[in-house]
Amino acid sequence: MGQFLISGLATGSSYALVAVALVLVWKATGVLNFAQAEIGLFGAFVAWFAIESTGANYYVAVVGGMIAAAVLAMVLERAVVRPIMGESHFAMLIMTIGLYVTVNSLTTLIWGSAGQTIPSPLHGTLHLGPTLVADVNQIAAIVVGAALTLGLTVFFRSRWGVQMRAIAEDRVTPRLLGVSMGRVVAASWALGALLATVALLFQTQATLLNNTAAADLIVKATVAATIGGFASVSGAYFGGLALGVVETLAGGYISSGDQSAVALVLVVLILLVRPEGIFTRGRARQV
Amino acid sequence: MTATFNRLWDSRYRVLVLGVLAVGLMAALPNFIDDYYVFLGCEVMIYAIAGLGLTVLMGWTGQIALAHAGFFAIGAYGTAILSADGFPWPVALVLAGLCATASGILVGFPAVRLRGFYLAIATLAFGELVQRLLILFASVTKGNLGFPVDLIDVGIGTTLTLWYVSLVILVIGVVALSQVGRTRLGRMLRAVRDIEVATGALGISASRYKLLAFAISAFIGGIAGGLYGQLVTFLTPPIFSLDLLIVFLIVVYLGGVLRLAGPIVGAVFVVLIVEQLQDLGSWQRLVFGLILVAIIRFMPGGLVSLPSLLRRRQRGSNSTGGGGLLAEPAPVRVVDAIPGGTP
Repeated sequence: MGQFLISGLATGSSYALVAVALVLVWKATGVLNFAQAEIGLFGAFVAWFAIESTGANYYVAVVGGMIAAAVLAMVLERAVVRPIMGESHFAMLIMTIGLYVTVNSLTTLIWGSAGQTIPSPLHGTLHLGPTLVADVNQIAAIVVGAALTLGLTVFFRSRWGVQMRAIAEDRVTPRLLGVSMGRVVAASWALGALLATVALLFQTQATLLNNTAAADLIVKATVAATIGGFASVSGAYFGGLALGVVETLAGGYISSGDQSAVALVLVVLILLVRPEGIFTRGRARQV
Repeated sequence: MTATFNRLWDSRYRVLVLGVLAVGLMAALPNFIDDYYVFLGCEVMIYAIAGLGLTVLMGWTGQIALAHAGFFAIGAYGTAILSADGFPWPVALVLAGLCATASGILVGFPAVRLRGFYLAIATLAFGELVQRLLILFASVTKGNLGFPVDLIDVGIGTTLTLWYVSLVILVIGVVALSQVGRTRLGRMLRAVRDIEVATGALGISASRYKLLAFAISAFIGGIAGGLYGQLVTFLTPPIFSLDLLIVFLIVVYLGGVLRLAGPIVGAVFVVLIVEQLQDLGSWQRLVFGLILVAIIRFMPGGLVSLPSLLRRRQRGSNSTGGGGLLAEPAPVRVVDAIPGGTP
């Protein structure tokens, strides 16, 4: 049980980080960013490439990958998403789907479709109890995920953070007070890209880094964000953790083939019972 | 002669005349083109039929639902399995379509409660679920090993048979939906989209009509799936992944969901682009993505907005935006009135 819990939380941390990224972009731009995980995959590949080709230090490479992803996200947002803001939801959704295809094929074109591994600097296991053993990388995923979400919550209390929250609530008044909407939106996309890169790095630690790693993650993260109500950062975070744990438990106790199916049934049930998500207090439904 | 032609052109039979001409052309076309283009034509028609199903849901009742690849998969597998069990193909096709309808009603239940974004996610989850179940019930579907489809042939070759069957079904679909669109039912469905708040007061049960839209959409999607099985001849669960859903969304987006001709235009466009890019090898997908992004960037209303976009450009105004595809009113951009406030 404890073992499942830990690997569930570790997997869930990846879902959670992409889910938080989705919520950030959703609040700033009002669109479900289908390309979110793909942008993170691009960053992860940049990090891998830096280590492979230049022998860079792991942490330096990771920061480089995060910056590359953030730049990519800001360029995409400025060039093709912002000009169509205010169009129908459907047009904006199709735009991010177009970006999903474009970014994924760009990654495939540059780095191919073979699976790669990023050697983690952390090794060994931790004994958390008499029978409970955890891989250091799993613990790292859980801790970093929690720390980033906490950091983001603190950030939202700063001047910049308040401006971002204000824009998400009301598009007109903050601008009358001198908040630059363009900068806030760009910052949200950049932050989202940073989080997604970290998520992809952890996700591909257990498996291989290849060009299909992000496709599954985006569906899971969307589900996680929806469980959390799609409005709050902490809701999305706990939604991701919950999804990871439920999936792993289902995989452990029912059958390993069923785990995704169980999670998907769960989300449909949750939406039926509480369309506003389970981690939100009752509020008027946004349409 | 010209006078007769003009009178005919101006009359309300114009659509009928053009339609009959188009169908006649399509019926004769396989005699003049390569087998390969016949195959592509079948693909276009099948995507167009699937797009018709989405049109009912997204265009008429205005619900963004992402379960269509799931219905399509149920239709494809249902038809293949039933005809392998000895049912005649047309019977198998209709039965599989009814299975898809049943699942459509099942998915529709949350739809009655959910809206917009949440509906999109719930239905997305359903589509993924179908794909997982196909792998899980490998004893019936043969899972990832793949299910070979029994091909139908009325004595003119399998590809030609599929061409004519698809053409007949597409014509039935367009004619039936255009007739339904004019009836009370069609108006009710659109009322649910435009004035849902008022429908309750008018004694219309919005939920019932939404469910009905789901059922119709799923049935058409299932039938299209059954035809698709004939096209690909070998079914595997990954065929019905997110990528297929994306193709459907692009088909209805490009063509527009407000006219029945929309999905046909969209399907022709998508198949032609993919075909033209075939020689690019590994660059194909990237170029496809870039074309898609460029189209949405400069024609946010899809290809259907092109005429009105050009007209506006001629008048010298440079405002973009072809109007919301889902008949959403354009949001008032207070922002534009603020000097120096443009992002």
